[in-house]
Amino acid sequence: MPREFEIKYRTEITYEDWVHNAYWQFLIIPIENDSQHDVEVEFNNSLFAITEYSINGYGFKTLRVHPKKKFKEVTFEATIKFIKEDIDPLKFKTNFNIALEHEELHKLDFKINHERFLKATPFTNITATQDQLYSFDVSISIFKNLENLNHWIYNYVQFSRNDIDKGTLLNEVILNKKGDCKDFAHLFCALARINGIPTRYVSGYLDRTNGFKGDSQLHAWVECYIPQIGWKGFDPTNNVLADINHIKICHGKDYNDCSPLKGIVNTQGKNKTTYSVTLHSCNS
Amino acid sequence: MIFAIYHVPFNKTIFMENIENQIFSSYQKNPDLYDEIHDKKGKVKEVYQKLFNLYGEHSIKDYVTLNNKAKSSFFNQGITFQVYGENNIQEKIFPFDLFPRIIDPVDWDIIERGSIQRSKALNLFLWDIYHDKKILKDKVVPVELITSSANYLDQMNGLNPPGGIYNHISGTDVIKHKDGKYYVLEDNIRCPSGVSYVICNRTALKKALFGVFNHYQTHTVTNYAENLLELLESVKPKGVDVPNVVVITPGMYNSAFYEHSYLAKTMGVELVEGRDLFVENDFVYMKTIKGPEKVDVIYRRIDDQFIDPLEFNPDSVLGVPGLFAAYKKGNVTLANAPGTGVADDKAVYTYMPEIIKYYLNEEPILNNVHTYHCSRPDELKYVLEHIHELVIKPVDEAGGYGISIGNKLSKEEIEKVKAEVKASPRKYVAQPIMSLSVHPTYIDDTESFEQRHVDLRTFTVLGKDKEFVLKGGLTRVALQRGNLIVNSSQGGGSKDTWVLKK
Repeated sequence: MPREFEIKYRTEITYEDWVHNAYWQFLIIPIENDSQHDVEVEFNNSLFAITEYSINGYGFKTLRVHPKKKFKEVTFEATIKFIKEDIDPLKFKTNFNIALEHEELHKLDFKINHERFLKATPFTNITATQDQLYSFDVSISIFKNLENLNHWIYNYVQFSRNDIDKGTLLNEVILNKKGDCKDFAHLFCALARINGIPTRYVSGYLDRTNGFKGDSQLHAWVECYIPQIGWKGFDPTNNVLADINHIKICHGKDYNDCSPLKGIVNTQGKNKTTYSVTLHSCNS
Repeated sequence: MIFAIYHVPFNKTIFMENIENQIFSSYQKNPDLYDEIHDKKGKVKEVYQKLFNLYGEHSIKDYVTLNNKAKSSFFNQGITFQVYGENNIQEKIFPFDLFPRIIDPVDWDIIERGSIQRSKALNLFLWDIYHDKKILKDKVVPVELITSSANYLDQMNGLNPPGGIYNHISGTDVIKHKDGKYYVLEDNIRCPSGVSYVICNRTALKKALFGVFNHYQTHTVTNYAENLLELLESVKPKGVDVPNVVVITPGMYNSAFYEHSYLAKTMGVELVEGRDLFVENDFVYMKTIKGPEKVDVIYRRIDDQFIDPLEFNPDSVLGVPGLFAAYKKGNVTLANAPGTGVADDKAVYTYMPEIIKYYLNEEPILNNVHTYHCSRPDELKYVLEHIHELVIKPVDEAGGYGISIGNKLSKEEIEKVKAEVKASPRKYVAQPIMSLSVHPTYIDDTESFEQRHVDLRTFTVLGKDKEFVLKGGLTRVALQRGNLIVNSSQGGGSKDTWVLKK
């Protein structure tokens, strides 16, 4: 049954000194696709600056704010409403040849078409010895392999909330076996890509009412391209497939492509940012 | 004294020439080099004869006075550039030589057609690698070349630049080898600079020695700006009637700032910095004293990573926040398009003959220098064994930085280069040492004309269904004796370059 969601996103930033010039770009609007639609956004800021609706370099919807007066603190509030369909993530045809499926991954055309999501980035880069951490079994389907990988990462890394906005390099994650949802997703990307599976980092909201683990603000998971099936979402932080509880905003090579808030702020001194995201679903 | 320097066989014509041409009297010809003004027998080529006689009427002293005058005019106009060193930054004038280089119509025809052919092929290549990627799928160019390039912009995938043009302005570096044929050394399609020097060299020469132009029918070079403007206007965004063009510069501290201001001035358009522009609702505006003015075409002289801090390098203060979104929506034209740098990678250069054949089904008009890819194990082996006879170049540096010329290296230096290449083979390519042609150039230290190596940068502008090659180009001179690197940042000079009408 479809669910109607309402998300309240709030960010408060305070600066030590006056800010004379600032640009912010928010990447917080859910994408419209088969499972999410009728997205409505209301966005306000305490400076009463105009909100521009735009896109980023990959075509995802953004909100841009450029205040025309000086300030020391600012609050942004978004109310986002949309409808999410309950699509069974396991509903896809499975009667195909496993050998052919693996073979497809090695074709040049396949590699070129998915080149962007096969290459390593600073956040999804692991060393030669680390790529032995997890290897695929060619006798079982790619989907099953990815499910196993999802499970493996869930057990390998211990979830810990991270105050650092930026994300951690995988070296550290592997060493400490600890990380937040970004790190789970980055590790998944790295290991799946090494095994030839196009994998993209996904940023979005998570309905945590069912006890799911995730950051209190935005969640991160991955999508893998499986020949003959298409893109499938995996959430290694919770060892589940992406489903009605996963509300996608955008995807990219890694966190850098999906950063929810980018700011170009001309000021000196420190600043403090607080975020909060609350999510309500009212079953219709 | 003058005649004793080299042995002239008793040949009346040469002897007479020397008497008439006192300023060339001590000019020594190295028979191993291709001298552009002399033929194989050592006689002055017909096309240069008149010039040779005209210059010969002056004494060295006159020549020096004129040359200094020309130089000071450069300085007074502020035509300077900066050299980036390890510790200090210096403001210099581009050394200028009054003895021009002449290119006859037959040679020019080859250069012009060749430059257009390359620019068009590169444009098709860029379209392809940002759309269907057929050339990669057909295995003509290896996929790694693109995917491992730092200049490949994922954001450009599937984006259609207005008019279908990526490399609006290309600077093709051409040399004449000792076999008398033209070879391309590099295609510069990011922000090629140098065109303002072409025009200034002509102006300086006209001021100093106006009379010589009466004896030659030379193509003008001062029409560059009007052609550039016309072609930039031809790639205006959809729905724009009369486009508003601007030139964006990183600012007055940029080494090519003079050129940015010169081009804006001669095109009659505004020169802006990032802070002069802003984006609102995905359209670009310029702040003026009369209020915001919409901007449609931006000739940008800022590197990709700096054009929009919200999309690329967030620390950039040179760009305009939101500019890329406006571009992606098709509301503004950027020339050159972002992401063109992937095609002026030196490793892509080596595939140019294949790229030309693939898209245009033509044979390359200009030759490519044979290139060894250090990323290929067998070629790496050859390179490591033959460093002393090769030029080693990093694939992604511009301006002559990081180039090692094998036969100029000491043993220790060779070992050092070997180690660097071994450590990151993908970063390097190697080419045989080309013998650039030489041209008589006045040298301050010896107060005489000496042979110096020259190359030629041509400027090609692509517009919508139109193209233009500046009939001239920048002849760069390697001022140090025997030096092969002609880049201005490496202490090169320049000459006026005449393309003859007939």
